[in-house]
Amino acid sequence: MLRRLARRLMSNVPESTVYGGPKPQSPAHRVTLTHLRQKHRRGQPITVVTAYDYPSAVHVDSAGIDVLLVGDSAAMVVHGHDTTLPITLDDMLLHCRAVARGASRPLLVGDLPFGSYESSASQVRLLLKKALLFAGKVLILTFSIRVLAWQAVDSAVRMLKEGGMDAIKLEGGAPSRISAAKAIVEAGIAVMGHVGLTPQAISILGGFRPQGKTVASAVKVVETALALQDAGCFSVVLECVPAPVAAAATSALDIPTIGIGAGPFCSGQVLVYHDLLGMLQHPHHAKVTPKFCKKYAQVGDVINKALTEYKEEVETRSFPSAAYTPYRISEADVESFLKELENRGLNEAASAAAAAAENEVMTGKPSADGNC
Amino acid sequence: MLRRLARRLMSNVPESTVYGGPKPQSPAHRVTLTHLRQKHRRGQPITVVTAYDYPSAVHVDSAGIDVLIVGDSAAMVVHGHDTTLPITLDDMLLHCRAVARGASRSLLVSDLPFGSYESSASRAVDSAVRMLKEGGMDAIKLEAAAPSRISAAKAIVEAGIAVMGHVGLTPQAISILGGFRPQGKTVSSAVKVVETALALQDAGCFSVVLECVPAPVAAAITSALHIPTIGIGAGPFCSGQVLVYHDLLGMLQHPHHAKVTPKFCKHYAQVGNVINKALTEYKEEVETHSFPSAAHTPYQISEADVESFLKELENRGLNEAASAAAAAAENEVTTGKRSADGSC
Repeated sequence: MLRRLARRLMSNVPESTVYGGPKPQSPAHRVTLTHLRQKHRRGQPITVVTAYDYPSAVHVDSAGIDVLLVGDSAAMVVHGHDTTLPITLDDMLLHCRAVARGASRPLLVGDLPFGSYESSASQVRLLLKKALLFAGKVLILTFSIRVLAWQAVDSAVRMLKEGGMDAIKLEGGAPSRISAAKAIVEAGIAVMGHVGLTPQAISILGGFRPQGKTVASAVKVVETALALQDAGCFSVVLECVPAPVAAAATSALDIPTIGIGAGPFCSGQVLVYHDLLGMLQHPHHAKVTPKFCKKYAQVGDVINKALTEYKEEVETRSFPSAAYTPYRISEADVESFLKELENRGLNEAASAAAAAAENEVMTGKPSADGNC
Repeated sequence: MLRRLARRLMSNVPESTVYGGPKPQSPAHRVTLTHLRQKHRRGQPITVVTAYDYPSAVHVDSAGIDVLIVGDSAAMVVHGHDTTLPITLDDMLLHCRAVARGASRSLLVSDLPFGSYESSASRAVDSAVRMLKEGGMDAIKLEAAAPSRISAAKAIVEAGIAVMGHVGLTPQAISILGGFRPQGKTVSSAVKVVETALALQDAGCFSVVLECVPAPVAAAITSALHIPTIGIGAGPFCSGQVLVYHDLLGMLQHPHHAKVTPKFCKHYAQVGNVINKALTEYKEEVETHSFPSAAHTPYQISEADVESFLKELENRGLNEAASAAAAAAENEVTTGKRSADGSC
């Protein structure tokens, strides 16, 4: 109680009598890389769930999930796009900030969205051409690494500085991605890698297609995961690969693997919030839930039922009943109010007000037969 | 089926085998001001609910709600702020676009957020234009705590944009009001609310939200106006009702973190509890290796390919990895299902 008093005295939030606002988070122990390492060493599976705003962050936090991922899957499940490509870094930062306000315990990881960390190959070529004219090999090398790293590091820095994240995730295993991951780690930012089906690359992959189903592809998944580990990643997401491939990668790595559609042999699992909750399920609009995702609830159905009931109650004037009509004007004030209305020629309005007030007095509750 | 084929042929969306993506909306009849006028004339209450993203928009639309408001309440229920003040016009536009993708039937109204319209009528028009042009909205709502807002509303209507007014407790004015305090509880306050509502009607508003005023005051306004009133915490005598999505669904309810639900809001569900239960179960299943089971491990690699894969791993000196892969593959073959004793 004292703490609440202190907060009120120190807070610049106006006194609220109608809306309480979110409750302050109790200072909780934030999950760190050390905790994850311990879990991994002990063979305890790591739990990861995505979240995109304050309420979902509160839910993921309250359930005791280890890692909260602000995924670029927001492009699809929050913004309704067909792919993860349209979401920008500024959009992601808005999501990150909202999440950071809601989750005080899980490790917060933000996805670097498509377009925020890949570029600069053309810049490198241009600079290389210029550099060749006057400088030696060392200068060219320094230039190329620096330019490649710029965009990725800048974006990752923003995620932590402006987004309140603890770490970032980036997709892919091409050499430039490995370098980007390395540069970000060197900038002091923890990086989670992501191999297998990398949704930002559907243009190349030819769609949302599982990976690692051929020998070459399977070997590539393992090698890429190892390269990301060498670059300094603290974990790697394995998405939509066959279980034996995931098992191989998990065994080959020292760092934990987080699987999604990758079978039970990973060090941990991740699922998308809306998918695991059946959020988008509805009798007339069933979003396709991926085959690997288990629905732990049918929230969409619950929501549909609730909204339908609300509509019915409003349309039959059952809502709001007296229980939901809390604000009063005293009888004396009602009298004066009626006079004022009549003075302004609003006689019908005065009658309506009188009827409403009388209704409250006699029955102890407002009823809905009136002038709507 | 033909329509789906046509969509696929015409679509630039890559073929998907894992994630289906959202289904196309069937062309539906959008609710218009005319529909609302008809409902109002017939004495049929108008239903309004807020939504802030694609899934909530789909839900509100699917439930047949008349009007969907993209409220600046997003600042509190989506972004976790204590007031509606921090959200910017650009933030609101992001919410609007997501909502527009999800709702094809409900009339779409967006709030003009604090700071986007108060400095001048032309600024107000610019912001309102962006809401329709960039946000895909059908109309805007603005809070009218002062006379200058009436001019702003008029200018926006003259620009060809439908305006929903908002009187009573206007959350953007808590600085002046001294908090989220119900209005119209004294004679002068009640009269002021009535007069502001009438002025908004004169300015061309198509409806007015009445927030947190006593029922008799709401009854008076509803009677005095010929445009519909939409009430929230204003009793049953309004032409329609509005509630905040998260509040009516009990979205933020949780054993250890109960967001204060306003007294006037009925919980039609306890979604927060449902979510908490589901996440807790997911966590338990992951930690006990129950999830994912075979049912949720769909991607295969052929036996022949497994053989070659093992060889490749051994060539690279990854013998343990090869064993792990072999064990996983064997597990699949013999039991026909995955078990979780392995390399985790």
